[in-house]
Amino acid sequence: MAVGTDSFLHLARPLAPSAIGVQPTTAPLNVIIQPQAVFSILDHAIRRDIRDTQSTRVIGALLGVRSEDGMEVEVRNCFAIPHTENEDQVEVDVEYQKNMLALQLKANPREVLLGWYTTSLELNSFSALIQNFFASPETGTFPHPAVHLTVSTEAGKEIEARAYISAPVGVNAERAAESCLFIPVPYEIRYGEAEKSGLELISGAKDSENRAAPVVSDIEGLERAVDQTLDLLERVSEYVNSVLDEEKEPSNALGQFLMNALSLAPKVDPQDIERDFNNHIQDVLVVSYLANTIRTQIDLSQRLATATLTMGGSDALAATGGEGGGDKGQRGGQRGGKRGGGRGGGQQREPREPREPSE
Amino acid sequence: MADPVAKEVPLNSVQVEALVVMKIVKACSATFPTTATGSIVGMDVNGTLQITNCFPFPTADVAASDSHPNDHMAASNLAAAAPRSKANVVYQNEMIKCLREVNVDANNVGWYTSANMGNFINTSLIENQYYYQKEVNERTVALVHDVSRSSQGALSLRAFRLAPSFMAAFKEGKFTTENMQKTKLTYKDVLIELPIIVHNSHLLTSFLHQLPAELPKEELEFPASLQELTADQPPIPLYPNLESLDLSIDPYLEKTCDQLLDSIETHYTELNNFQYFQRQLAREQTKVTAWKTKRAAENATRAAQKLAPLPEDEWERLFKLPTEPSRLEGMLNARQVEQYSRQVDGFTASITSKMFAVKSNLLPESS
Repeated sequence: MAVGTDSFLHLARPLAPSAIGVQPTTAPLNVIIQPQAVFSILDHAIRRDIRDTQSTRVIGALLGVRSEDGMEVEVRNCFAIPHTENEDQVEVDVEYQKNMLALQLKANPREVLLGWYTTSLELNSFSALIQNFFASPETGTFPHPAVHLTVSTEAGKEIEARAYISAPVGVNAERAAESCLFIPVPYEIRYGEAEKSGLELISGAKDSENRAAPVVSDIEGLERAVDQTLDLLERVSEYVNSVLDEEKEPSNALGQFLMNALSLAPKVDPQDIERDFNNHIQDVLVVSYLANTIRTQIDLSQRLATATLTMGGSDALAATGGEGGGDKGQRGGQRGGKRGGGRGGGQQREPREPREPSE
Repeated sequence: MADPVAKEVPLNSVQVEALVVMKIVKACSATFPTTATGSIVGMDVNGTLQITNCFPFPTADVAASDSHPNDHMAASNLAAAAPRSKANVVYQNEMIKCLREVNVDANNVGWYTSANMGNFINTSLIENQYYYQKEVNERTVALVHDVSRSSQGALSLRAFRLAPSFMAAFKEGKFTTENMQKTKLTYKDVLIELPIIVHNSHLLTSFLHQLPAELPKEELEFPASLQELTADQPPIPLYPNLESLDLSIDPYLEKTCDQLLDSIETHYTELNNFQYFQRQLAREQTKVTAWKTKRAAENATRAAQKLAPLPEDEWERLFKLPTEPSRLEGMLNARQVEQYSRQVDGFTASITSKMFAVKSNLLPESS
């Protein structure tokens, strides 16, 4: 569920030049990043403007939720901030940041500003300047630490990410604004149950040449899952066989693990299985059959409602004709259903499909 | 829509960036079971609509002012109407203006909504999409993400547009029997589904290759003990998702059955409305005929008395024929039922194969 990093040394540190009476937290911090935030950062990195700025990085703000004790922050969202950077100065569009933050918070009122990200691993004095802006009491996250996330986006290299928080450090008061001590903090990329299917689809496209994949139906997904499971089982049984043939080195731990896994198989009476299986499959099929019958009925009713009935021409006759047709349709639908609801559905669909591309 | 020259190539597919998929999934599952809606931006290139970013619509002030905690239906309705509400149009324009500054495609191409077990075909969806196709841009789509179905296996994300014939009919607002006979409009012509392709950027592909994927091919060290093995489990790959092997289907079937029953109820209400209308109409028509015969008889006597005949078309003022109820609701309901039954077919297909697999696994001799 999570992509963790190595172990970290947590340092207690003051967050900002502390005001009298305010006790900033100095507890260790753990950063959790949700995939869509990373995706968003990467997207921003691609869309960076290279015309009027010399910098190769872009910056943006991180949004998310902070746990009650402030020990854990979860980055859920982020937005890009335009900035320009050259040798001796950096300019961040503060106005834009304020507007965008207000807009984002309007849609996600539970989220708060957590910090900022940039798309290069480098930490320089500009980083410190921006970090101090995000950590300051007026415009930033004080008394909570501002998180700085760096994500490397160099083409052809691994994408590395690091998370930092900062502590004030400075030679003298004048230089304090543009210097700070970045302290690395651990982070992990975590995704929830709901995102799993989305991530599956996205990672399905990663090996293809054009970086694209169609949305698959349930049954295709199932086929792939079964294939994968069969592969894994094959691999295990191959290993077990080669151990039996004394070709490979046996391992007690693996043996125990496999035994445990096998003992999970329920011990049930074959008759019980047979009975449960039949019951259940009948339930499922009945639901499917009923659903298809209902569909046929409603389809019919829709057709009858708009059909031009010319039986004798009078209204009364047309109405009785319609009802008779309805009854017949009901029986017809049921017969059709018995033969197999799924097939009926397929045939229904056929005349519609070829029309779609021409629309 | 009105101008056929403007659309050189009709939209034939939708290409969604991975970022959009993740954002929609997150937004929809965060508010589940309340409906979530949002706007999508992108470009259309040679008939393929590329969706490159999205953002949710604010619904917070509604939820906050709602005093009933379990009254999520009301919030749902408000959220469902969000895409065409005035405040959100302003919000959307504001947001797009901001996004343009950071080089995101500043072109609104539609909206997204969440659904629960395929219950998305309703007037709200139609009205929203109608609004988008008419007011904003003809080439817009509605993305529907089904939260419940996605939790059960493969991601369910679909793109819909209103068919031009339906757009024309909806514009006039006439869904009478006569009109539908003339235009041959059926419930199957309401929505057009477009195929969706998910697309990753180069950077993202590179990132995905770093996430746990396939099992390592090379030889691994043997674990020293069982504890070590359980404590240090190999990462689970994202693809393929073995979650779809899960056997439990009953809650989904149950939910779909409930929804089907609801649909039948709607169908009956519609039917009753229509029958009521027909009875009303018949009654009025009898009255009109009676009045006409009476007037004809009167005129005959007046003609005999050499008086000017009374006008015979006064009945139009005297009697008011009831208006025919709209067929729209029924049409949408039919489309919805079709959608449910397809869904059940899909469930049945996968669950039967899974069940047969389990059975032959537990009873190897019987297969």
